[in-house]
Amino acid sequence: MRVSGTQVSDPKDERALIARMRAGDESAMSDLYDRYSGIVYGVALRVLGSTSAAEDILQEVFLQLWRNPQAFDADRGKLAPWLAVIARNRAIDVLRKRPMEEDIEELPISTGVSLEDEASERIAIDKVRGVLAQLPADQRKALEMAYFEGMTHTEIAGKTGEPLGTVKTRIRYGLAALRKAFS
Amino acid sequence: MTQHEQYADAMALYAMGALDDQRELAELQAHLGACGECRRELEALRADVALLALSAVGPQPPQRSRERLMHAIAAEPRRQMKPKSRVVLGRLRSRWLTFAPIAVALLLLIISGVLFKENFKLRNRNERLSAQIQDEIGRSAHARAVLEVLNSQNTQKMVLVAAKEKPQPQVKTIYQPEKGRVLLLASNMEQLPADKVYELWLLPASGGAPMAAGIFKPDAAGNSVMLQTMGSDRIAAKGFAITIENAGGSQTPTSPILFAPAG
Repeated sequence: MRVSGTQVSDPKDERALIARMRAGDESAMSDLYDRYSGIVYGVALRVLGSTSAAEDILQEVFLQLWRNPQAFDADRGKLAPWLAVIARNRAIDVLRKRPMEEDIEELPISTGVSLEDEASERIAIDKVRGVLAQLPADQRKALEMAYFEGMTHTEIAGKTGEPLGTVKTRIRYGLAALRKAFS
Repeated sequence: MTQHEQYADAMALYAMGALDDQRELAELQAHLGACGECRRELEALRADVALLALSAVGPQPPQRSRERLMHAIAAEPRRQMKPKSRVVLGRLRSRWLTFAPIAVALLLLIISGVLFKENFKLRNRNERLSAQIQDEIGRSAHARAVLEVLNSQNTQKMVLVAAKEKPQPQVKTIYQPEKGRVLLLASNMEQLPADKVYELWLLPASGGAPMAAGIFKPDAAGNSVMLQTMGSDRIAAKGFAITIENAGGSQTPTSPILFAPAG
C-alpha cells in the first residue's frame, strides 16, 4: 500500500525494512514512509476533511511506529492494513474528540492481500472501489458511516431510521462482499 | 466465517469499533476470550475493514510532512543499531522476559512447596527422634537408679520370709531372649571358698546342653546382682540353673545343680 507516489523497490523486502527500522535505521523508516504514507494520509483526510489535521495524524502514526516498532507484529499481518487501522482509529478519535491512547496498540490483522507493489496496489484500490460501487446504496452508506465517521450501529440506526438489526446485517454483508472480492 | 453464527453480526460491528450495545459487547468479548476460531475470524474481519481504507487513497501528503517526520525522528533519542538477527531474537527475548518473572515465580513456588514438605518431614522426624531420645533417657535413668539401689554398698537388702522361719537362699533370673541378656538377683547365698564360684546355666528350650550364663560370688551378706549377656541372642530358655564351679567357671556343669526353676 504505497500511497505517497514514490516508486518502490522489491516488494519482498518489507520485512527487511521493518527489521532495519526496528534496529533504528532512519533510512528504513524513510522508505516505509514513502510506501505507506499515502494510505495513512488518505484515510485521515477522508475522516477529518482537513489537510492539516490529516498531516498531524500522519506524523503521529509514523512517529509512534518509530518509537514503538514492537507494536506491529510482522508475523501476524502486513504493515499497510495495520497502519490503515491505526490511522483510521486515531482520526476517528480526533473527529469525535475522544481522548487518544498514549501508545499505538497491538492489533492482529490477518490479510492475504498484497499491497506491496504498485501494480497490485492499484488493482486492490480499483477492486475495493468497484465492490463499494456495486453495493446497494444503503449498505455502502452504512459501511462508510461506520468506518469513516466512526458511528456506532445505534447511531447509524438513529440517523437513517433503520432497525438496529438491519444496520448490523448491512455492515456484515458489506464486509463479506469485500472479502469475497479478494478471496 | 465461524461456526458461531450467532456472533457474526456483532463481530463485524466490533471489528469496525461500531458495536455499542454493552451487553452484546461483554458477551462477545467473553466469547472471544474462549474461542480461537472467532479470534481468527476477528483478525480477518479487521483486514476486511482495513480494505475500506483503500477507497480513500488518492490525495498525497505534502513534501513538508515527510521532512517534518524525518526531522522529528532525527531529534528522537538514538536507538542502538542492531543486526537483523538480533532484532528477531530481541522480539523473542522480549516475550521471554514477559513470561520469565511468571516462570521464576512458579518455579520458586514449586521449590518452596518441596522445601516446605521436606522441612515438615524433617521436623516430624526430628520430633520423633527427640521423643525416642527422651524416652531412652528416661529408661536409662530408671535403669541406673535400679542398678544403683541394687549395687550400692549402703543398700540394705532384706528378704522377708514367714515369721519364725529361717531365711532361705533365693535366686531370681530375669531373661530378655531377643537381646540375650539375663539379670540375676541372689540373696542369702552361702559363702564359697576362694577357689569356687557360683555359675549360672541357661537351659535351652530345645533340650540342648546347658549354656554357661555367667559366674558370680555373693557379698558378705550373701547377696549378688549380675547382668550377663549371652554370646548369642534369641535363644529360647526353658529355665536357668546354678552350680558351684572352680574359679573362672566351666564350659559344662561339673557339679550337682543347686538351684533349678521352681515348679
